Amino acid sequence: MRYGPSVAACAAAALVFVFMVSAPAQQTAGPGRGKGKGKSGPAAAAPRNAQGRVIFGPPPGGTGFWGGGGSLLSKGAGGLPTNPTVEEVPFQPWARALYQYRQKEGQKDDPHARCLPPGGPRQFQTPNGFEFIEQPEYKRILIIHGGGPRSWRVIYTDGRALPPNDEDRIPTYFGYSSGHWEGDTLVVESEGYNEKFWFHRGGLPHTDALHLTERFSRPDYDTLKYEVTINDPKAYTRPWNAGFTVPWTYTNWDGTPGGEIQEYLCQDNERDWERLR
Amino acid sequence: MNLCRRFLMAAGLTLLTAFAQEGHPLVGTWHGTWGTTAATRNDITVVFLYDGKTIGGMVNPGPDSIKLQNATLDAEGWKVHFEGDTKDVQGKSIRLSADGKIENISNVRRTITGSWTQGAVKGDFKITRDN
Repeated sequence: MRYGPSVAACAAAALVFVFMVSAPAQQTAGPGRGKGKGKSGPAAAAPRNAQGRVIFGPPPGGTGFWGGGGSLLSKGAGGLPTNPTVEEVPFQPWARALYQYRQKEGQKDDPHARCLPPGGPRQFQTPNGFEFIEQPEYKRILIIHGGGPRSWRVIYTDGRALPPNDEDRIPTYFGYSSGHWEGDTLVVESEGYNEKFWFHRGGLPHTDALHLTERFSRPDYDTLKYEVTINDPKAYTRPWNAGFTVPWTYTNWDGTPGGEIQEYLCQDNERDWERLR
Repeated sequence: MNLCRRFLMAAGLTLLTAFAQEGHPLVGTWHGTWGTTAATRNDITVVFLYDGKTIGGMVNPGPDSIKLQNATLDAEGWKVHFEGDTKDVQGKSIRLSADGKIENISNVRRTITGSWTQGAVKGDFKITRDN
């Protein structure tokens, strides 16, 4: 049987799509897929709420979401110019060797490729974008993710302390987060992570001792600035800082105007469910 | 410490470490066998812990567990070494020493294969990390 050009083109397009959805991200990948087509010209000022503080969502009645962010290990392409190189990351010897192994092996064992939730900075690097949902009446902020297993994270803003590190604290993918506002910057302290995920594209290792201090700001309408201090004394010899920016997304998945996160479930395309862990 | 309390502590330790997967490659609970020949095998459980500086843990959690000593991981080649004090049937202390290598390091079901000595007795072992 011979297939016509249209069938071949369709098959090629399907292959490209499958690759885009399933290919593991490279360590220096730039802004992720989220159809982050910004408007041309200078970006507008960041929207503010009635109290005058910057918000991380669209203004009331608006749409849009954040696309995939850059890398903590690159300068440019979304990475902050102050970011360390891989060589400058203060790995413990085992952590450096494990990271190098994961890079060498093409990240074939990436848990996120098996639809497990991406904790830490990785949650802002996934395809399909994310949104901040502020709930001041409940004193919490939700971050909902369009990619992976379509999960969400809760940041409490009621001033609570993080739960003590004892036998009652169950390690989780997104950890326990408590945040507060410093002017227009949201500062979040998080810990209590499990070790079932890679916290950054490319496989930067972490342990259950991971503590993140994240600073979110929105210097203009189209840009979310993400800065993080990584403190994991079991994997790194000292705390280290890095960050990246995330572009605002005005369009839908197919490029049409709208800026709404599509329904996407990683598991829907999973063909290896019997071996999912 | 009574037997029940020691068992509960060991069970709790095993449960806590069973969650770890993608962090320090040794941390967690490993199961397998060791023996002097292919036909003479015994089940073995090894629990590895890591506090950021020192690797600890035990062999065969329970009342007759062996506390790990001098445990090391050489990231170049993923070579593992650990020792422990055991007792023979007369209660005489015998040193256990084991050396192995982690295979398939990035897989949650990675393995350690190697050899061990216990006094004059020698053998091999293979353990697989629990999911």
